[in-house]
Amino acid sequence: MQISLQQVAPTFIEQEKIASSQVWNKSIVFHPAEKIQIIAPSGSGKTSLIHFLYGMRKDFSGEIVYDKKNIRSFDAEDFAAYRQKHVSIVFQDLRLFPEQTVLQNLEIKRQLNSFHPENKIAAMARRLGIESKLTKLCKTCSYGEQQRIAIIRSLLQPFDFLLLDEPFSHLDDNNRKTGLELIEEECSMRKAAIILADLRQTAHFKADRILDL
Amino acid sequence: MALSFKHIAPFLTTDQNRSSRWLSYIGLGIGVLLLLCSIQMYINIDALLKNKNAKKDGYDYISITKKVTNENMAEDHSFNEADMSELKNSTLIDDATGLVANKFLVKATGGGAVPFTADMFLEAIDENFIDTIPPAFNWKEGQTLVPVIISSDYLELYNTVFAPSRDLPQVSEKTLSTIIVQLEFIGNSGTQTFRGNIVAVSDRINSVLVPRNFLEWANQQFGNKEKSNPSRIFLKTKDANNPELLSFLQQKEYHINKDKTKFGRVKQVLQMIVTGLAGFGILVVLLAMVLFSFYLQLMIAKSKENLQLLLTIGYSPEWLSKTVAKKWVPVYIVVIIMAVVITVLLQWSFQHFVMKDRENLSPIVNWIVFATASLLLVLSVAINFRLVKKLLYKL
Repeated sequence: MQISLQQVAPTFIEQEKIASSQVWNKSIVFHPAEKIQIIAPSGSGKTSLIHFLYGMRKDFSGEIVYDKKNIRSFDAEDFAAYRQKHVSIVFQDLRLFPEQTVLQNLEIKRQLNSFHPENKIAAMARRLGIESKLTKLCKTCSYGEQQRIAIIRSLLQPFDFLLLDEPFSHLDDNNRKTGLELIEEECSMRKAAIILADLRQTAHFKADRILDL
Repeated sequence: MALSFKHIAPFLTTDQNRSSRWLSYIGLGIGVLLLLCSIQMYINIDALLKNKNAKKDGYDYISITKKVTNENMAEDHSFNEADMSELKNSTLIDDATGLVANKFLVKATGGGAVPFTADMFLEAIDENFIDTIPPAFNWKEGQTLVPVIISSDYLELYNTVFAPSRDLPQVSEKTLSTIIVQLEFIGNSGTQTFRGNIVAVSDRINSVLVPRNFLEWANQQFGNKEKSNPSRIFLKTKDANNPELLSFLQQKEYHINKDKTKFGRVKQVLQMIVTGLAGFGILVVLLAMVLFSFYLQLMIAKSKENLQLLLTIGYSPEWLSKTVAKKWVPVYIVVIIMAVVITVLLQWSFQHFVMKDRENLSPIVNWIVFATASLLLVLSVAINFRLVKKLLYKL
């Protein structure tokens, strides 16, 4: 399984930015078990790229091909299957259910396509220091705590690619380190690739490839 | 563990607008009940206003004539071949036959037992149209004894009006067969006397009937030789009260024996009222469905962000719409089954208490009612599925 970008470029970004990018309008292939760091200053289309890969937006030229299939031709059901089995994500804006408890937020993902047993949630939460928050409403958690919830949620399903959009922006160095360790462990367990997009090079992340957007 | 509604229930705002949800359930129940009861009443009216006339092999027999009015008095009022074939070809009529009438003068004298003399008429019809045919009802050339069937109304008139006024003995149907009436035929070829023997009375045909071959022979002998068309037609039909048949005959301006079809109008009016009620029932069902669809739209609109997020994290829109829609299937089933049960109870009570266990009315609800209930269930579930799916795909 691999994802290849064939001359992909957002339709809304200036040509100069596209010309200087190592990603836009290029042919790039993301392989399994690869660790890719994408460094992107604000406004260069970092979140757009992650959304393109996850199939949430289609306002780009070129093609994104997953497992020999052009994801532009996917319908709603194909995308559901793609997101259940092959691609997981931590959104920059997290996208958690604010009115539900932390546990409900995690269980709703785990039940969809379980990769881990139920007790794994508590174990992961303990490891990231949010175990005591499991029964609390998500909206009552700090942004840093919510980031860790989003990280755990992304690790509860099977996947070949993990898309991370500034996942540690509100975490201190220690939390960033434990978070990254957990992510790397889970990815190596699945032989999955990590595509981490950030404003600058992420500390503790030893990327196989670094691409400037 | 398979995913079900309970997993996503906390993410949906289902508890809002309870009143409109319950109103829609009650509306659906009332509408379905009204519709089912109307259908059952329609069938009841059909059953109750049938079988009022003497039937042979489950058929009704009615006689028709062409209306005589002041304007058309001079015209021919007989049925020509085109009229006959039109009647015979109508899907509402199973068979039609003309009554052959005498074309010469007939006089009847009662002889010693019943002293009277009167001008009279004779008619003949195909035997399969007569309700009572005794074996003696046949005639061979040369035979002077002629079997006669008279209308039971004549016997009744004789016994209740004629006999008491003249101080004559009343006669029973059985005694009638022993009476011989002298029939004097006066025509072109002279006069001949036959002996008429009343072999049966008919409830169906209001006439004096003799065997057809006899009357045809007599018309040849005593009448003019011209072939003439019948003026009175007997119709064989499954239901003489069928409003369609009545309006067909009305449109042709044929005069119908009113007595046999008087239930037709009553039935037509009652069935129209019940049809109106059924229409109202359908309207209530539709309104209830619209109300429920508003509730669903509101619920989906209020849960929009959560539903969108569920789709974003990988929930399939097909699965979500099916699961959300399925939630209300048991409600529809319960509401419609309740309406069916009430209809069953009402029908039984109507038959038992109101109609006092009348035999021609079944205490059991007709299968059409069950079929309608099933159809409504399938329809409401299907509409619900479609609606939820449409709303979810719009997100």
